[in-house]
Amino acid sequence: MNRRNRIVLSCVYWAFVLYVFVPLILMILMGFKDSKFIGFPIRSWTLDWYTGVFEDAEVLATLGYSTAIAVLSTIVAVAVGTWIAVLLEGRKFIGRTAIFGLTVLPALVPGIISAIAFRIYARWLGIEPGMGAIIWAHAVHNVPFVALVVMARLSTLPKSQIEAARDLGADPIVAFLRITLPYLMPAILGSSIFCLLLSFDDFVRSFFLGGYDPTLPVLIFAKLKSGMSPEINAIATIALVVTAAIGIWAERFTRRLNKDTQA
Amino acid sequence: MSNDAAARAHSGAVAPGTGERTFWGRLTSWPLYQILMAFLTASPRRQFLILAAFPLIWVLTQHLGPMLQMLRVSLTDAYPVAPGVEQHFTLDNYMRFFGDPIFWQPFFRTLTFAGVFTFCTLILTYPVAYFLARHVSRKNQMLYLLLLLIPFWVGEIVRTYAIMILLGNTGAVNMMLKWLGLIEKPIPFMYTSFSMGVGIVYLTALYMLLPLYSALEKLSKSFNEAAADLGAGAWTRFRRVTLPLTIEGISSGCTLVFLISTGFYATPVLLGGPSTTVFAETIAGFFHVAGDQWPTGAAFATIMFLTALILTSVFQKLMNALRKGDSK
Repeated sequence: MNRRNRIVLSCVYWAFVLYVFVPLILMILMGFKDSKFIGFPIRSWTLDWYTGVFEDAEVLATLGYSTAIAVLSTIVAVAVGTWIAVLLEGRKFIGRTAIFGLTVLPALVPGIISAIAFRIYARWLGIEPGMGAIIWAHAVHNVPFVALVVMARLSTLPKSQIEAARDLGADPIVAFLRITLPYLMPAILGSSIFCLLLSFDDFVRSFFLGGYDPTLPVLIFAKLKSGMSPEINAIATIALVVTAAIGIWAERFTRRLNKDTQA
Repeated sequence: MSNDAAARAHSGAVAPGTGERTFWGRLTSWPLYQILMAFLTASPRRQFLILAAFPLIWVLTQHLGPMLQMLRVSLTDAYPVAPGVEQHFTLDNYMRFFGDPIFWQPFFRTLTFAGVFTFCTLILTYPVAYFLARHVSRKNQMLYLLLLLIPFWVGEIVRTYAIMILLGNTGAVNMMLKWLGLIEKPIPFMYTSFSMGVGIVYLTALYMLLPLYSALEKLSKSFNEAAADLGAGAWTRFRRVTLPLTIEGISSGCTLVFLISTGFYATPVLLGGPSTTVFAETIAGFFHVAGDQWPTGAAFATIMFLTALILTSVFQKLMNALRKGDSK
């Protein structure tokens, strides 16, 4: 009985793996099709779409633009998120629950509403649509993820280490920089990479807060609205390879770092 | 990390001027730094206020601010305000929503779709989460989970496009069915609520899978064994033991997926058709045109957000009541 269950469930699992992988694999394959026409079957293959993309100045500029936005917004989100986590974790004070609730708010607001609210607020603050506005919106949106991950890590820090450092005369800032911060590193790096991916992949905020220059997802969206073409597959595949590579590398990296600090 | 970390922190920190020229020694013996420290740590109260000030200002102005500003704009008759024009407060933007089916039809459609898609995601991912938590050895669990995580690092637009290629008239599914001889003409999957559903479930599955997995993983096997000893069959065990004990995971997964699915904009635009216009597209429409439509867009976004919040909190209350009722 249990054995039959196990077999059925493992079939469900592998079917699910197929469901999440097959569409992406098909999309990648289509980028190598030697025809302007999207669809199966693929009779002959070519690399022309890729060479075309790598010679296209607009795509390359967009790739750089998206990367710059991702890096800058991540730096802001990580700094702010870590600060909030240090305030909230392990402290009891009036209003803590309220601050915690407000901290996670941007993660709970549905995409379109968050984009609209940021657009109106940016206008009110006098921030023009463009790179600065996107960086700001991505940073605010990503702060909750950093705060939650860092809080989880901070809750496992042995208090005795801080107390020992303070007893030996370290002031709060030195104790933070030399004990707490190194201990938080795996969480900070892990959430940085998560923020990089979120920012790099974000469409709705970049779309509503962008100026004339598109980010990579906005560029793909604009091209898709004027029709499917294997060129889009090549661009999308490049975006996919970038994100998957960062993700896999981060997974290995943070796991090793976690092991090192636990030992 | 060991105890000597504390000792290291000490070595440079408290020996100003004793010949130790470490970075920390130099920093802490710097007069300006000492004045700053004396100011910061004068009392625990001041230290706390300085620590708390920035996060408090940040969450109020950056997290709450945009939502409040949206609410304020939704109550005005013009935004952005042209020079020389006076701005008035009004409820007209909200009244506009109820006046025209072209507005409230997409609204109810969005809620229905989000509910149905959330349910589909739950049905689809529960067995997967169950398999991962119960039938995979602890050593392999991370590996099996990671395999599912990889596609979810890929962005919304790229994955939506992948679904377009899968379901198009010359897409993989139609070609497969034709090759098998099941159909003559391609089935028009695209630009329907079906293609939109496949896309949204594809995008949100992970947000359901992870809460379910962590709820199932925490669940001790002994409950099931006890139920089996008492003679409960597999179905009864699932219905009376596993399901009630994972209600928390179900409840948070469904809340998350519901909120996310109401907010999709690009996916419905690309995968849906004229008969599946969702409220996100209605809201966005007000921002494509110049200035004076913004208040209406803001009002509609507020209606959407409040409704989604109320629905999810009612849902969570219900699930909580269900859990308490079951444990009695």
